[in-house]
Amino acid sequence: MAVVQQIGGNGANAGFVSCWACKGPVAGRALFCHTCGAVQPPGSVDHFARLGLERSFDIDHDHLEKQYLGFQRVLHPDRFAGKPAKERAIAESQAVALNEAYETLDDPLKRAQYLLRLAGIISEGTIDKTVADQALLMEAMEKREALSEAEGVDAIEQLMVEEGKGAIELLSVISKAFAADDLAAANRAVLRLTYARKLLEEARLKRAALEE
Amino acid sequence: MYSEKVVDHYENPRNVGGFKKEEAGIGTGLVGAPACGDVMKLQIKVGADGRIEDARFKTFGCGSAIASSSLATEWVKGKTLEEAESIKNTEIAQYLSLPPVKIHCSVLAEDAIKAAIKDYREKSGSPAGTDGNAAGKAAE
Repeated sequence: MAVVQQIGGNGANAGFVSCWACKGPVAGRALFCHTCGAVQPPGSVDHFARLGLERSFDIDHDHLEKQYLGFQRVLHPDRFAGKPAKERAIAESQAVALNEAYETLDDPLKRAQYLLRLAGIISEGTIDKTVADQALLMEAMEKREALSEAEGVDAIEQLMVEEGKGAIELLSVISKAFAADDLAAANRAVLRLTYARKLLEEARLKRAALEE
Repeated sequence: MYSEKVVDHYENPRNVGGFKKEEAGIGTGLVGAPACGDVMKLQIKVGADGRIEDARFKTFGCGSAIASSSLATEWVKGKTLEEAESIKNTEIAQYLSLPPVKIHCSVLAEDAIKAAIKDYREKSGSPAGTDGNAAGKAAE
């Protein structure tokens, strides 16, 4: 049974740990102990492994959704209503980890950033560093200036349409870069998408303020 | 969540605007935060005596980023390039009482100062430590 939980085949922790309840051996990624049936703590597996997916930028959204809903059902609080407090708490922490994994992988930008983190391209050390791409910064500055000068909903929506198109193109650039294992190119496009998203967010806020 | 000083700089930003990039004595620094998509431009105007006589900024970002760059323009004025270069992000963060999650805004401001100085030096053809003032020559 534990083997069933090990789908995906990527991520760490393929070894066995001790079940907290019966001390029996249990696969590192198993949700439940195959000996006593107790729910196991989330453990340190990556978001893809947690959802039983291959580690890749291109994921089938329906499949992601299906995996998420499947695991979510198994971990539903109702199933643990009669269990001891400790098991309920563990089930809850599993559900939290599952939600975090789903939210990260569901959004293409977050998914791309997460993959770059796993690859060590993005880290706590690099996230504080300033953007080196001067052309990107100049473009971002010009667009933000254009947005701040835009008067009226039409002008703002015009900017949003253009930026929205750019964002879709960037997703395909990111997908191709990951497929070619060109992480530097993926990183550059991810950064551009971060700025595109920011502009769209600011544009939405400005439009909402005008429509009030 | 914002300190009084951040609110003050956010509501009454100092030295907003810009100089013409091409003008003599102008150095422009353009930096951005990869995590949040903020963009910050800081410009310095260097006088004949090698001191920064004026500064401008334009920042699209959160209140802390705007306050950090506003404060940076105030602090660099009247300083030599070497003095301005030594401004640390920790001093900005401390002065503005920035919370840990906003420290990167002060990092951005420090980087903007350094980038503006670097741009000025490249344009004027004077490498670090040879800005024509006594302090610069002594440091060399």
